[in-house]
Amino acid sequence: MFHAKKPSSMNGSYENRAMCVQGDSGLVLTTDPKPRLRWTVELHERFVDAVAQLGGPDKATPKTIMRVMGVKGLTLYHLKSHLQKFRLGKQPHREYGDHSTKEGSRASAMDIQRNVASSSGMMSRNMNEMQMEVQRRLHEQLEVQRHLQLRIEAQGKYMQTILERACQTLAGENMAAAAVGGGYKGNLGSSSLSAAVGPPPHPLSFPPFQDLNIYGNTTDQVLDHHNFHHQNIENHFTASNAADTNIYLGKKRPNPNFGNDVRKGLMMWSDQDHDLAANQPIDDEHRIQIQMATHVSTDLDSLSEIYERKSGLSGDEGNNGGKLLERPSPRRSPLSPMMNPNGGLIQGRNSPFG
Amino acid sequence: MTMDYPYEDFLDLFFSTNTNSTAAAASTSSCGYSLNDIDIDWDCDFRDVIESIMGDEGVMTESESSPMLLGQEGLCNSASTGLSVADGVSVEEPKIDESKGLRLVHLLVAAAEASTGVNKSRELTRVILARLKDLVSPGDSTNMERLAAHFTNGLSKLLERDNVLRPNQHRDDVYDQADVISAFEMLQNMSPYVNFGYLTTTQAILESVKYERRIHIVDYDIAEGVQWASLMQALLSRNTGTSAQHLRITALSRATNGKKSVASVQEAGRRLTTFAESIGQPFSFHHCKLENDAFNTSSLKLVRGEAMVINCMLHLPRFSHQTPNSVISFLLEAKTLNPKLVTLVHEEVGLMGNQGFLNRFMDLLHQFSAIFDSLEAGLSITNPARGFVERVFIGPWVANWLKRITADDTEVESFASWPQWLETNGFEPMEVSFANRCQAKLLLSLFNDGYRVEELGHNGLVLGWKSRRLVSASFWASHDSNQ
Repeated sequence: MFHAKKPSSMNGSYENRAMCVQGDSGLVLTTDPKPRLRWTVELHERFVDAVAQLGGPDKATPKTIMRVMGVKGLTLYHLKSHLQKFRLGKQPHREYGDHSTKEGSRASAMDIQRNVASSSGMMSRNMNEMQMEVQRRLHEQLEVQRHLQLRIEAQGKYMQTILERACQTLAGENMAAAAVGGGYKGNLGSSSLSAAVGPPPHPLSFPPFQDLNIYGNTTDQVLDHHNFHHQNIENHFTASNAADTNIYLGKKRPNPNFGNDVRKGLMMWSDQDHDLAANQPIDDEHRIQIQMATHVSTDLDSLSEIYERKSGLSGDEGNNGGKLLERPSPRRSPLSPMMNPNGGLIQGRNSPFG
Repeated sequence: MTMDYPYEDFLDLFFSTNTNSTAAAASTSSCGYSLNDIDIDWDCDFRDVIESIMGDEGVMTESESSPMLLGQEGLCNSASTGLSVADGVSVEEPKIDESKGLRLVHLLVAAAEASTGVNKSRELTRVILARLKDLVSPGDSTNMERLAAHFTNGLSKLLERDNVLRPNQHRDDVYDQADVISAFEMLQNMSPYVNFGYLTTTQAILESVKYERRIHIVDYDIAEGVQWASLMQALLSRNTGTSAQHLRITALSRATNGKKSVASVQEAGRRLTTFAESIGQPFSFHHCKLENDAFNTSSLKLVRGEAMVINCMLHLPRFSHQTPNSVISFLLEAKTLNPKLVTLVHEEVGLMGNQGFLNRFMDLLHQFSAIFDSLEAGLSITNPARGFVERVFIGPWVANWLKRITADDTEVESFASWPQWLETNGFEPMEVSFANRCQAKLLLSLFNDGYRVEELGHNGLVLGWKSRRLVSASFWASHDSNQ
């Protein structure tokens, strides 16, 4: 959900970037391979004046602004993106932040205010009123951000319970089918199936709501997890067509509808994969290898070794995400409520598959 | 990882989006393969196209066979390389794509044309579809091929639907609920398509019932009820203790959709009730079974002093197909309840007006090519998650739409658009708030560049991909009538 932003815009290293001032025009550019212009307060003021001269942000175009401003070194590209921001009334917050350390927060507030004022045609109102309006809107934006995140999380959590339920239903159907077939009495009873799906007693229970906040931070990992988890599903689909599906879980499959069963097994593992991914940035290749290992392996003990290694890692490197990296209790994780890593693993070891 | 981390994160996202949007937009537009990019004169005589295809089938001329072979070669290459499609391969591909893409579009249009209308020919359709099936499969390596594959499947299903002798031959794309829900969730993570409708509506409802003690939402099509989880969360976060607002949801189910629909509505109700309990939101759920698809306010349980909200999510992928007439009769009846808010979310596909089947078909192709493009920008085509979503979700979605646009013209409304219909039928537009616009922009900023949100009058928002509108939400009210 919170993916696809380039790291450069995310990591907040803006301040660390080397700057260079371009001699005569006084423009400040970063020394990146792709230089970015720093919109200083002065430069922005000239920009605002130019826009006002041209009849407002909606009439002004990058080209006309460039002409009116007449600053050497300023390109259409710079102006285009700045104007776009200006029109949307979004403040280039960071850039002003740099200056506010010296000039106090007043300077940036004034800029923001000017922005909002000119973009919504409130020029005629008095300063106080405008300032209050600006503050109200800024506050509103922050509120919206906070709420949006919580709402998305609430939906995600809710969806997980549906998924969990659907898996249980499937497991139930499989069991029924198995009972009818009578292919494996006692051998592969309800215990191993339900272990793969998670504890059944109360199909719809929700973790305490506060937990949402903790998991809210894991935006990247959530996606990671998703990709990962579904990569598993995908691989399963291809694998189940192949003749060698059987080695994957060892014994013959008594269940006619075995596809679903395999998937649940995979889900169980994918939780651990997720932990691995969360603990340690690994390149894709490595991850795929591990995953392949999971698929090819017929030996559950070797898998549990991987698992144990991972737990060790999480102990070592879990310092800035302690809450996150904690092994989730079966019912707690909104990411993977149907995966019961501990129980699942133990079951896996004792199960007839092992 | 402290508690204020996500907050900052959000700020960053929020303020930095526009900085690189121009550059990113430029780069994505060059790699995406879009129907919009090919400038084809769609008014050209389709007879010619069909004739050329007929010619293909009869005599395989040199000139016709070679590009096809090329195309197949390209397919073989990418299929054998599988996941590890290297850059070298993708550099080669566009050339093949362009001609193949065009060819696919021609074939699809020809098949569509042959499958309907006055010149309907089952044999011709079958032949063209067979050719298409040779050319593409849903696992292909370009957007256009995959898109064509899903359309081919959809058209084949239509063809078989007409075939009385062998009904229900296509069982291959029936997925279990776990798959569908997984795919739905993945889609939500890949694209703002679904959440745009949900969250925009949620925000509008919250604002409209700010000072109400009891809220009653009549949901035209509740599906799994995912939307209401966020509403409950939001209600709870703004009310504490004794001031908690009571929420009641009445979900409609239709006898025409069979027992399954009734059961799933009940299931959604149980789930929502449990969810509400778990977070401490006062909540009750009602289920209103519609006989003959006709909604009647007398079948609702009404409580004095409740604020009425009518929620209408139309045609979103997870929602069952309802005819426009059913929506119209629902809205007209619901209007007599004097709702404080009517929310309407619908896909921006040209089902409106009598533009003829081919226009609608082309519109649908455009729509889905935009959707495929938007997915491409977020996740590479080789990503298995994407393949999964496409198979489980987008395939059936395309097929459903094809079924709809081939329906009798009597079913197609004669008005221009839903907002226009609402306006002419006495619904008052309700302004979109600053917070709601802000939320929508913020939501889009969580995804790759290329999505945009624009205003639809004063009372609506549209989610678009590049120049194509995908889905829109609009807000209305009604305060008139008998009271």
